[in-house]
Amino acid sequence: MSIQRSFAAPGGAVSVDQLPKLEGEITLYLGRGEGGLYENVLEAIRKRNPKLNLKIRRGATAALANSIVAESKAGVKRADVFWAVDSGAIGLISDAGLARPLPADLIAQLRPGFQYTQWAPVTGRVRTLPYNTDRLTAEQIPESVMALADSDLSIGWAPAYASFQSFVTAMRLLEGDKVTADWLRAIKARATTYAGELGVVMAVERGEVDLGFANHYYTLRLKNGKPDAKVALGFTKNDAGCLVNAGGILALSDGDLPINFIRYLLTEEVQSYLASEAYEIPLVEGAKPPQGLPPLDSISPPKIDLTQLADLRPTLNLMRRVGVL
Amino acid sequence: MSLTLGRRWPASYPLALLIALLAIVPVGVLVGLASDSAELFDAHNLRVLTNTLLLMVFTVLGSVAIGVPLALITAYAQLPWRRLWLILLAAPLAIPSYIGAFTLYAAFGRGGEIQQLLGWSMPAVNGLPGATLVMTLYSYPFVMLTTRASLLSLDASLVNAARTLGMSIAASLWRVVLPRVATGIAAGALLVALYTLSDFGTPAIMRVDTFTRVIFVEYNAFGLSQAAMLSLQLLVIVGLVLFLESRVRGNKERPGRHLTLWPSRGQKLLMALVFAPVFVLAIVLPLLVFGIWLWREGTAGFDATYAWNSAHASFLAALVAVVLAIPVAHAAIAGRAGRFMERLTYFGFGVPGIVMGTALVYVGLQLPFLYQTLGLLVLAYVLRFLPLAVGSVRSTAEGLDPSLVKAARLLGASPREAFQRITLPLTIRGMVAGAALVFLEAMRELPATLMLGPTGFETLATYLWRVYEAGYFGRAAIPGLLLVLMSALGLALMLSGERRAEFDVTGK
Repeated sequence: MSIQRSFAAPGGAVSVDQLPKLEGEITLYLGRGEGGLYENVLEAIRKRNPKLNLKIRRGATAALANSIVAESKAGVKRADVFWAVDSGAIGLISDAGLARPLPADLIAQLRPGFQYTQWAPVTGRVRTLPYNTDRLTAEQIPESVMALADSDLSIGWAPAYASFQSFVTAMRLLEGDKVTADWLRAIKARATTYAGELGVVMAVERGEVDLGFANHYYTLRLKNGKPDAKVALGFTKNDAGCLVNAGGILALSDGDLPINFIRYLLTEEVQSYLASEAYEIPLVEGAKPPQGLPPLDSISPPKIDLTQLADLRPTLNLMRRVGVL
Repeated sequence: MSLTLGRRWPASYPLALLIALLAIVPVGVLVGLASDSAELFDAHNLRVLTNTLLLMVFTVLGSVAIGVPLALITAYAQLPWRRLWLILLAAPLAIPSYIGAFTLYAAFGRGGEIQQLLGWSMPAVNGLPGATLVMTLYSYPFVMLTTRASLLSLDASLVNAARTLGMSIAASLWRVVLPRVATGIAAGALLVALYTLSDFGTPAIMRVDTFTRVIFVEYNAFGLSQAAMLSLQLLVIVGLVLFLESRVRGNKERPGRHLTLWPSRGQKLLMALVFAPVFVLAIVLPLLVFGIWLWREGTAGFDATYAWNSAHASFLAALVAVVLAIPVAHAAIAGRAGRFMERLTYFGFGVPGIVMGTALVYVGLQLPFLYQTLGLLVLAYVLRFLPLAVGSVRSTAEGLDPSLVKAARLLGASPREAFQRITLPLTIRGMVAGAALVFLEAMRELPATLMLGPTGFETLATYLWRVYEAGYFGRAAIPGLLLVLMSALGLALMLSGERRAEFDVTGK
């Protein structure tokens, strides 16, 4: 999977004007974490489609994924579409056989390497190590995320956050359960827990901790509002620490409405909004990457199939066993 | 014939029994869930247990340390504007502790509001010490009010005797007054303990792994059985505290003359200096922080439907709770078995919202027509806060002169007519008061609302939580202020009740 290449080809995204109007009732389970920005997108879709009755249930992505599975087991179906901030939670749903297949033309809009039959990636994100620039220099950031376990840095993290859990899953797949458990234990001894990764980045900027674990966009957003913020992005090399992950959406009900709803998120307008405002990496062909992200050829993400990140349950069990959840 | 009538169950019994059984359904559900596949106890649990107990003990100690002196001052010291001081010092009750936790967390620490405004670098408020501070600030009024009530029922002549025999004021307060109000202090302390055990927002915001927070994490991973096991462990502690509370009985003295202390100007100043920080931290700071946020960010993101949803659901809960409370209250007055049924419904108040939520989510999954409906949410509120309504209805009903009903019956009224024309009109005040209390508690309830609310149903409390999680602190201003305002109304209700009691004591 080469991100650099996938950014090159222009064209692909359609405009909202080309899409059919949405009509009827639809329930969206929205894995939150992006604050008001996803809400703004949904509000815009609502405004464009006055006949759409869009109901939104908000929750942590992993919690909603688990709810969807539990609901289907109990024979109670509530959600029509699930917009998750993380592909691990999506895999949990599609592994349970609950996701409806997407039409080929929709899949074709997505960048090569991000085309799946069960779900549509909406935006991408890179795992990063935001660090306080008063306390550390770029040289002091270890090249390996594993090396952090032996450092004496103070660390901020949000273990309850879905993206972090996917990162741990990636580490499990790359390094094995035992190494991952030891690593979590070692980090836990020096870590401060925050509710979300925005909290982590804010804490790094305030100097509460030296460095944190967070998706790239929180740092970029913070710096956008506060250009002299004392925080910069650090990257590890070739390990889970710089995993490139995606948030995405899937349909849980049959019919055109869920599919057409998904199409709205893949339009040029929404994609460029999420890139410019949320600093997320658009995954539809032709949309421009966000400003402020370092040249992507300098990042070397591990080779991992995103659908494997669905193996969330062992991750949660492991995290619970070592007492970080 | 009269004998057989006397042996028959009072008419309110069957209904009361049904309601009592309903009230313990959640516990049954939890036992069933926990027996599924949960691990009984591990090292992690031990840490959670330790944290929970430490937070409880520290909060109780802190509340007694602040509440008892304040009770002495507000009960006995002759100060200008006594009424105002009492209201101000009881005011923290009007603020849900999670709002306090939220604002204190945002105000202190590096880069917090205080540093941004004044440039002072402040220590962060978080962890166990932070949670203890917040819980103490918002629960000391329980101790203050119960202790004060006991103090007001004392006769001053014993103190005067001690003083005549040469004991100093301080020594006589310590050796003569305090031992006689020990039960009042204990009652308040147990309330504080109960409140601390059931609070979810404060430990979550302060990041202390107490039972409520860990249950929420387990629930979010849909580890329902583990969440149920933890809930039961928490309920054991709650049950213990409830048992202790039922043991504490106030010893009533025949009220006599009130003790009155005349502090000097210096002593007044000292009192003000010592207790100003409490008031500033608990009341001024949160309101100030909300004010700053409101000024900085305006009302962005807030939708009036959040307030309407809160009011709507809480109103339904209040209505249902009072309707259910009437048979329970009457059963409680009618006999021993009824009193036992009433005790069963009291259990719900000891069940923290998060535990109730865990149980009812499972019930909802089994009964799909209830899942994610307003009905299930209202049921959760009712089960939790029914005792408030029962207590209120019962105490007014007990105050009724039974000869009125007997007279009506003698004059040929049927039991139903006697109830409608005598009992009901005379107990309506208690019902309204009970309904108001349920309304206000339901309005503030956070975890049960998060877990059980219908899709798209955002209340003031859940919106506040969402804003906190997303880091958009500024948007907390409006829902926060509205919640404080609503709670202040509840406090006004409580204090007006207390004033009546005070008048009774002094015989005015």
